[in-house]
Amino acid sequence: MNIRDYLNKERLYSDGGFGTLLQARGLKAGEKPEMWNITHPDDITAIHLEYLNAGSDIISTNTFGANPLKFDNLEEIISAAFANAKRAVELCGKEKAFIAFDMGPTGKLLEPLGDLPFERAVEIFAEAVRTAEKFSPDLYIVETMNDSYETKAAVLAVKENSDRPVFVSNVYDESRKLMTGASPKAMIALLEGLGADAIGINCSLGPKQMVDIVREYVKYSSLPVMVCPNAGLPRSVDGKTVFDVDSEEFSDCMAEIAQIGAGIIGGCCGTTPGYIRKTVEKTKNIPFVPVKKKEYTLVSSYTHAVEIGNGPVLIGERINPTGKPKFKQALRDGNISYIISEGVMQEEKGVHILDVNVGLPEIDEDAMLVRCIKELQTVSALPLQIDTVKPSAMEKAMRIYNGKPLINSVNGKQESMDAVLPLVKKYGGAVIALTIDESGIPDTAGGRTAIAEKIIAECAKYGIDKKDIIVDPLAMTVSSDNRSGRITLDSVKMIKEKLGVKTSLGVSNISFGLPSRETVNSHFLTMAFTSGLDCAIMNPYSAAMMESYYSYRALSGLDENCTDYIDFASSLKKETVTVSSSPAQSESEDMPALVRAIVKGMKDEALRSAKELLLNQEPLTVINEYIVPALDRVGKRFEEKTMYLPQLLMSAEAASRAFDAVKELISSSEESKGKIILATVKGDIHDIGKNIVKVLLENYGYDVIDLGKDVSPETIVERAVSEKVTLVGLSALMTTTTDAMRETVELLKKKCPDAYAVVGGAVLTKEYADMIGADYYAKDAMETVRFAEKHFGGK
Amino acid sequence: MINIFTCTGDEICVNKDEAYRYMGLGRNYSNPEFERIYCECLGEYRKNVFYKGVYRESSLSFGEGDELFFDFCSFKSHDLKRNLEGCKGVIVFAATAGINIDRLLLKYGAYSDLRLMTADCIASSGIECFCDRLNSIISEGRETKLRFSLGYGDTQLKYQKDLLSFLDAEKNLGITLNESMMMTPKKSVTAFIGVK
Repeated sequence: MNIRDYLNKERLYSDGGFGTLLQARGLKAGEKPEMWNITHPDDITAIHLEYLNAGSDIISTNTFGANPLKFDNLEEIISAAFANAKRAVELCGKEKAFIAFDMGPTGKLLEPLGDLPFERAVEIFAEAVRTAEKFSPDLYIVETMNDSYETKAAVLAVKENSDRPVFVSNVYDESRKLMTGASPKAMIALLEGLGADAIGINCSLGPKQMVDIVREYVKYSSLPVMVCPNAGLPRSVDGKTVFDVDSEEFSDCMAEIAQIGAGIIGGCCGTTPGYIRKTVEKTKNIPFVPVKKKEYTLVSSYTHAVEIGNGPVLIGERINPTGKPKFKQALRDGNISYIISEGVMQEEKGVHILDVNVGLPEIDEDAMLVRCIKELQTVSALPLQIDTVKPSAMEKAMRIYNGKPLINSVNGKQESMDAVLPLVKKYGGAVIALTIDESGIPDTAGGRTAIAEKIIAECAKYGIDKKDIIVDPLAMTVSSDNRSGRITLDSVKMIKEKLGVKTSLGVSNISFGLPSRETVNSHFLTMAFTSGLDCAIMNPYSAAMMESYYSYRALSGLDENCTDYIDFASSLKKETVTVSSSPAQSESEDMPALVRAIVKGMKDEALRSAKELLLNQEPLTVINEYIVPALDRVGKRFEEKTMYLPQLLMSAEAASRAFDAVKELISSSEESKGKIILATVKGDIHDIGKNIVKVLLENYGYDVIDLGKDVSPETIVERAVSEKVTLVGLSALMTTTTDAMRETVELLKKKCPDAYAVVGGAVLTKEYADMIGADYYAKDAMETVRFAEKHFGGK
Repeated sequence: MINIFTCTGDEICVNKDEAYRYMGLGRNYSNPEFERIYCECLGEYRKNVFYKGVYRESSLSFGEGDELFFDFCSFKSHDLKRNLEGCKGVIVFAATAGINIDRLLLKYGAYSDLRLMTADCIASSGIECFCDRLNSIISEGRETKLRFSLGYGDTQLKYQKDLLSFLDAEKNLGITLNESMMMTPKKSVTAFIGVK
C-alpha cells in the first residue's frame, strides 16, 4: 500500500495536536515530548490509536524536535517513535493507515541573519532522515516551518536521502507571511520546484483565519494542499490554556476548507481526536475534487513570487562585468559591497528580477557567485536570475538560493541541456532557453522556433514543465544585418503562438555598433513588448528604457488609471529639480567648490566639482589639495563638536563620490596609509561607536578591515595574522563583555607580538585598558585616529 | 499563560529625541539635509517593522545571598535582586521589531553608512518605544518595578536561553539565539518586570 495511490485521488485525513494531549497525560513544562517515546510508549501509542480510530489516515511520529542538535540519542528516540506508531496501526487494524516521519524546525535561524550555515541545516535534517529510513516510513511531513530557507534545507535533506513522498507545511501569521517574510505564492513556487508531493499550512492560526491562504494555495498550486489549523487562539481559563474554537466550529470551518479544495486535512495545536472525528463526519460527503495542474510561470525570492506572463517583467542586467572596468575591479578585489549596491539600486529603479553574472576568468567564479547570491538574497527582496555558463557554479548557486530562481541559461546544444536540465529538475527553477544549437543561430523565425521546440522536448524527458521554460530567441545586432530586428520580433511572436511558452530577450545587444544606442534600445523594447515579449533583460538606469516600459504598460491597459506611469513621470521631474537646485547657494564660505561640497555633504555637487577640477589638474593634486583637506576639516570640526555624526557621514559619502571620479583616471588605487582591523568583541552587538571610528579612519586614508560585531578572539587574531595587520581596534559597550576584550588582547599579544591593540567603548576606562594589557585607550573616535597617525608614523 | 501583543509601524511613534541621542546629536540639532534622510529612513523602517511581544508570569523567590529563583531558572545577581526587592512575582517579556529590520539594515549597509546608522538608531529607539507600550500594558492594575534586562549590571546573558524558552519565543516571535547568546532579530529585547 502506497500513499501515492491515494494522493489527489481521494481526501486524506491527517491527525491533530499532540502537545495538549501529552500535557493531559502528565508531560511537564520544559520536558521534551520526544523523550516520551522511550519513557511513556503506551501513552504515545494510545494517542496515535485514538487518532486512527477517529478517522485519521495519516499519523505523524512523535519526532517534531528529533534532530541531532537537540538529542544525542537520536536513533533510540526515532526507533521508539516508529515502534509506537506501528503498534497503534496494528492495534487499529485499518488498512488505509500511513505513518509519517514528522520533522519540525531546528530552532536556529539560518545564516546570514542567524548563525546556522545552510549546509549544516541540510545535514541536521539529513541525519534524521537517514535514521528514519531504517524504519520505512510511508512518507515524510516537514511541518510548522516559519522560514523558507530552512524549509528548503529540510526538503533537500529528504529528497537526497529518500525516495518516499514528502509533504511540506508552513506557518503563516495574520499578515499571511512566514515569520521571515515569504508569501504563500513564494512558498508554492519554491516547493513545487523542489519536488514536494503535497504542500500546505499548519499551526499559528485557527481554521477561519486560514481560509484566504487556503484559497491562494488552491489557486496557484499544482500539488495537493494540506491544511492543519490550530483550534483557534489560546487563552487562559482558571490558569489553564484553552483554545477558543470548539470541535463543532472547527469542523464546520474544515468543511468549508475541504470545499475550497484542500485534499489533506487535519489539525494542529489544541485539536484532539474529537476534532478530527467531527471533521471526518462533516466532510466525508463533500465530493473530492483533485487538484489541477496550473500554468503560472513563477520565480520567487524569500518574500514573494514574480509571475511571468502577466505583464512585462524587467530583469536588471547591471550585475555583470561585461564592458564595466569598475565592476571587474570590484570582482578582483572581492569588493562585494559594490556588487550588492548595484542590486539595491536596480531594485529601487523598479526592476522585478536581478540578473547575477560574476564570471571573470581570473577569479573563482563558483565561490564568488555563491557569495554574491547569499548576500544579495539577504538584502534584496527580488528574485534572482542565476547567470553563468559554468554548471558547477550554477549548481552551487541554485542549491543555496532562497527561493525558485530563474536560470540563465540552457541552449539547444546537447551538451548544455545535459548539464543544465538535471539541475533545474533537482533544485527547481524557471530556465531561459536560448535558440542556438550546434549549427549556430538560425536566421529565420522558423529555425529559432524549431530549436525552442527541441529544448522543450528535452525538458519533458526530465519532467520539467513547459511553463518553466522561457525562450530567448536572441536579439542580434541590427547594424551588421538589418533583418536582425525583424527576425527576433517574428521569433518572439511565433514561439509564443506556436509553442505556448513565455519569452525573454537581452534587449541592448540589438543596437551594438550604433550611435545613440538608448534610442534604438528603447524603441526595440516597445516593439518587442508589442510582439508579446514577457521578460526584458535591460538597464534600468536608462531613463529611455524605463519610459518605454511605463508607457507600454499605460498604453496597453496594464496600468490602471495610469498610476504607475504618473508616479514614474513625477519621479523624473523631482530628480531634475533636485539637480538644478543643489549647487551651493548657501553660505559664501571661502572654500573651493569641491572642499565646500564635501564639508557640506553634497554628493552630486562633489562629483561634479571633482570632474571639473580633473579637467585641468592631476588626480593626485585633487586628492591632496582638495579631498584630504576637506576631510581633515570635517574631522577637526567633529573633534571640536561643532559638527555631528550625520554630517560626518554625509561628508564621507560626498568624498567617496569625488574619489570615484578620481579613480577613473588613475590605474592603481591610491596608496593606503595603513591597514587596521576593527571589531566589537564577542558577546557584544553594539557597534555604533565602532562604526564611527571606521568612518573617521577611512576618511583619513586608512584601509579598515571591519569584522563587525560579536567577533570571537580567534577570528580577530587569525585575520591580524593573515593580513599582517599591526593595529587592531576593539570596542565593547556591555560590562559583561569586557572579559572577551581581555581574552582578545591576550591572544593577540601571544600570536602577533608586534600588533598594537587600541580599545574603546562606553564601559572602558584607561585603568581597565592598562589592566588587560591594551596598548592604548581611546576615549573617542578621533583619539583612535590620532593613535593611528602616530602608529603609522604619519605615512 | 503566554500573552501575545503586536503593533504595526504606524501604531508606535518612534522617539526622535532618543534616536538623535543614539547618534550623538542634541535634541536641538537641525540640518535640513539630514532631516530628509532621517525621514526617508524612518519611512522605510515603519514600512518594514512589525512589533511583536510576549509576556508571562513567573514565580519569584529569594535564596541565600544573591540567589534568585524563577519558574524557568535560578541564578545569582546582586543587581537584579536589588531591583526585585519587595516583589512577590515577576513578569518576563520578550519583544522584537522583526527580521525585516535586520534585512533593512543590511541593505543600507551595502551602500550608505549614513543610512545604516540612522536606521539603526531609529530601530533602537523604536523597539524601546514598543517595550514602553508593552510595559504599560503589563503594569496596568499592578504595582511594578522598572524593567531589567539580562546583561545589565552583573546579570549573565547565558540565562537568555531559559527565558526565551519559557516564553516560547522562537515560535511566538521568531527569536533565536546564536552561540554568544545574542538574539536574532537584532532589535529584540527581553526583560524582567518585578510585581509587588
